[in-house]
Amino acid sequence: MIGRRGGRIALIAMTAAIAMPGVPPAAGQQPAAPPPPGRATDTRASRVETAPIKGRQGAPVDLTGYWVSVVTEDWQWRMVMPLKGDYSSVPLNDAGRRVADTWDPSKENACDQYGVGGVMRIPGRLHITWEDDQTLKIETDAGQQTRRLRFDPAARPSATRTLQGFSKAEWKGVAGEGPCGFDGIGPCTPPAGPPPRPKWLPLKVVTTQVRPGWLRRNGVPYSEHAVITESFMRYEAGDQPWFTVMTIVDDPAYLTQPFITSTNFKREPDGSKWNPTSCRAGT
Amino acid sequence: MKASPLSTIALGVVMTVSAALPALAQADFTGVWIPRYHEDYPERIPGPDLGDYQGLPLNSAARQYADSWHPDRITLPEEQCRVHVSPYIYRGPVRLGIWQERDPMTRELVALRHRISTYDQDRTIYLDGRAHPSPYAPHTWMGFSTGTWEGEKLTVTTTHLKKGWHRRNGVPMSDQATLTEHFIRNGDVLTRISIVNDAAYLTEPLVKSEDFVLQREDIGTRAWMFNCKSVVEVDRPEGVVPQFQLGENPFLDDYRKRFQIPAVGIRGGAETLYPEFARKAGASAPASAPRPAAASTAAASPSAGDTVEILKVQGDVYLLTGGGSNTVVQVGSQGVLIVDTQVAALADKVLAAIRTLSDQPIHYIINTQADADHTGGNAQLAKLGPTRPGRVPLADSVGGNNTATTSVIAHENVLNRMSGRVEGEAAKPEGAWPTDTFFGESTEVFFNGEGVQVVHQPAAHTDGDSIVFFRRSDVIVAGDVFLTTGYPVIDHARGGSVNGVIAALNHIIKLAIPTHNQEGGTMIVPGHGRLCDEMDVVEYRNMVTIVRDRIQHLIEKGLTLEQVKAAGPTADFDPRYGAATGAWTPAMFIEAIYRDLSPARGKS
Repeated sequence: MIGRRGGRIALIAMTAAIAMPGVPPAAGQQPAAPPPPGRATDTRASRVETAPIKGRQGAPVDLTGYWVSVVTEDWQWRMVMPLKGDYSSVPLNDAGRRVADTWDPSKENACDQYGVGGVMRIPGRLHITWEDDQTLKIETDAGQQTRRLRFDPAARPSATRTLQGFSKAEWKGVAGEGPCGFDGIGPCTPPAGPPPRPKWLPLKVVTTQVRPGWLRRNGVPYSEHAVITESFMRYEAGDQPWFTVMTIVDDPAYLTQPFITSTNFKREPDGSKWNPTSCRAGT
Repeated sequence: MKASPLSTIALGVVMTVSAALPALAQADFTGVWIPRYHEDYPERIPGPDLGDYQGLPLNSAARQYADSWHPDRITLPEEQCRVHVSPYIYRGPVRLGIWQERDPMTRELVALRHRISTYDQDRTIYLDGRAHPSPYAPHTWMGFSTGTWEGEKLTVTTTHLKKGWHRRNGVPMSDQATLTEHFIRNGDVLTRISIVNDAAYLTEPLVKSEDFVLQREDIGTRAWMFNCKSVVEVDRPEGVVPQFQLGENPFLDDYRKRFQIPAVGIRGGAETLYPEFARKAGASAPASAPRPAAASTAAASPSAGDTVEILKVQGDVYLLTGGGSNTVVQVGSQGVLIVDTQVAALADKVLAAIRTLSDQPIHYIINTQADADHTGGNAQLAKLGPTRPGRVPLADSVGGNNTATTSVIAHENVLNRMSGRVEGEAAKPEGAWPTDTFFGESTEVFFNGEGVQVVHQPAAHTDGDSIVFFRRSDVIVAGDVFLTTGYPVIDHARGGSVNGVIAALNHIIKLAIPTHNQEGGTMIVPGHGRLCDEMDVVEYRNMVTIVRDRIQHLIEKGLTLEQVKAAGPTADFDPRYGAATGAWTPAMFIEAIYRDLSPARGKS
């Protein structure tokens, strides 16, 4: 039998636990619906959020400058024109395959390949600049596209879908998901005051309102329903600055699961190799 | 106001929890992660075709190695359980489990551990600030890794890697390669960015990235198992190493033709990785690239100099490095046994190092051959036997040594050369000569509780080579039939031959038993260079055998020595083993084999 005092301690401990982020809900609370297979969300992610960091002023890393893609992966689909019907590696569903099989090789230079879902995979150079304090601009020489990554929380997309869509950006990591409690196990509480700002963070970008485009130059499609989530990760390789952008294309219309790639860029000293080439619209 | 018991207890609970909080800036990588193969699927899952080097900044040495690589190699028993090295293994079909290792007393985070299902690999990434081991320490499939945090990015540096693949269709990664990784978590996706530097086979760092998704469903215990037991799959003569002769691989162009890829692109190279290449991708180019211009990463021991470093090998056996060659010491209650004594100038330092291990008399010196860098310290160290000043001569024999002095053991050909009995050989001081010689196959002693076999390797580096096998400690001292610093020196003038070297290497491979997946187990000390295991000897045996077979093939085609040299039979190994200048160049190695194999020996 649990004594009166023992019961009180248990009650207090439970109360304290409920107040701690990340602890499973107590009995009687409505649990969140389980995520669909393959699209699970880590419950640990909700423990402690890092404070929102503003655009240019808060940038923990410098992504500006001229960057060149270094194609060490998917070379045969990126550096040369892939064969019609070659959608190896892409988790296309039947509808996606049907669309890909209609691709016409005469559309080789179509602008569809430079949409936000595929443009970072095209070999070329990027010029990244701050257009204003809340907008990071990415220009591509291949296809001459311009992407605007908007940090302003109040920014809203227009009703028109575009090739580059509407991109919301924030410097956001998973700090707070890190090991908590004893040996990283169990509940934890954020320290008093605002959480410390990490020295390094990835840049998270979520793009919606897209026009249909191609994941590959041979017409492997994504639809207007696609949501493109990116994480720009800056690092050094030897003494040279690089970044890798991890891209998740989530398209229930044409994909059986989110399509995940990561693409590597090396910084160049200047724009002397910038070589703009246009694409053909209206395909 | 008096605090209520309830609020006191609640405060206590909160304080206890808060006190346990570590810094929150680091991402949590623990869990089970499953890779996504949305990039490079043909390479990563079914496997790459022969001749597909696209996307790799290779030099022409790497191309030659890969062009010559024969898939039958993986049917060799000693190659069947070859593990993909840590720079490459994450690209394959793996289940990746990550957990924390903590100090049992302080609970401080010591390391992150990776369980990689493929090939049963456990990898440790130390986070406690420890240094990387000596350059003479063994290399492993996973290497030695340390990590540091920068905000939420974990950066890992790995050294001490075994030879492996940049791509598993024969594109080699050298054992000189180093790896830098960045691990970054974005929600349920873990991205691993890898940067491989390999001066032997790459012209610029190879940067790749892979993505893993957090796995929430139980995948069962068996999914983590990958037991490999090698068997004889093909009945072959001992020592056969399958290869395509230079320029004779008929399959190199198949993949390129099937996918209509430009010839110059399929051959890789840094110039093909940048956008400029895409614009001229239609241009044709020769399928064969010029001879390698890669700088050699070899030709010297890790830190050849005048200091002596001690590494424990295993059991009672220690490695003393310095001066370029290796000394091995066995210590125990009966005293000290030494294999090879380095150069005379280092004798004091070798002795000082030995004295940190044992103050017992030196009962035995074993010489693996007669060269001065292996016998130079004999005279001085042999004075420190059982009768050295202050010690009473032994009444009974120790390990069969009843001479009351240090017994210097070697094959009789070593004595013949050191004593000047062979024409053309200058005699060394008598105090350095072997005192206990053998002829025939082998001799042995039982000392410090273990059997020690000294086995002659006929006509190898010279005519007097022996390997020394410590049977309980499970250590083989190879002498100069095996080096990690360069090609084997085939000393024709002293009775050496390439086939003798290969036979000696095969003998060592036959004796050695790895612990698991071709790693560890019997340790092998080369004449020069770092500590090794069987797989390192296999790589070396493969290299010598391949070069021998190429030169034999070219001789059979009627090529002269100069034509053979021009054909580049060592070009793919030169960045690792060849020194363009010095006492033993690739050209000298080729010439030695050519003369060895020519129908009329000595004819060019």
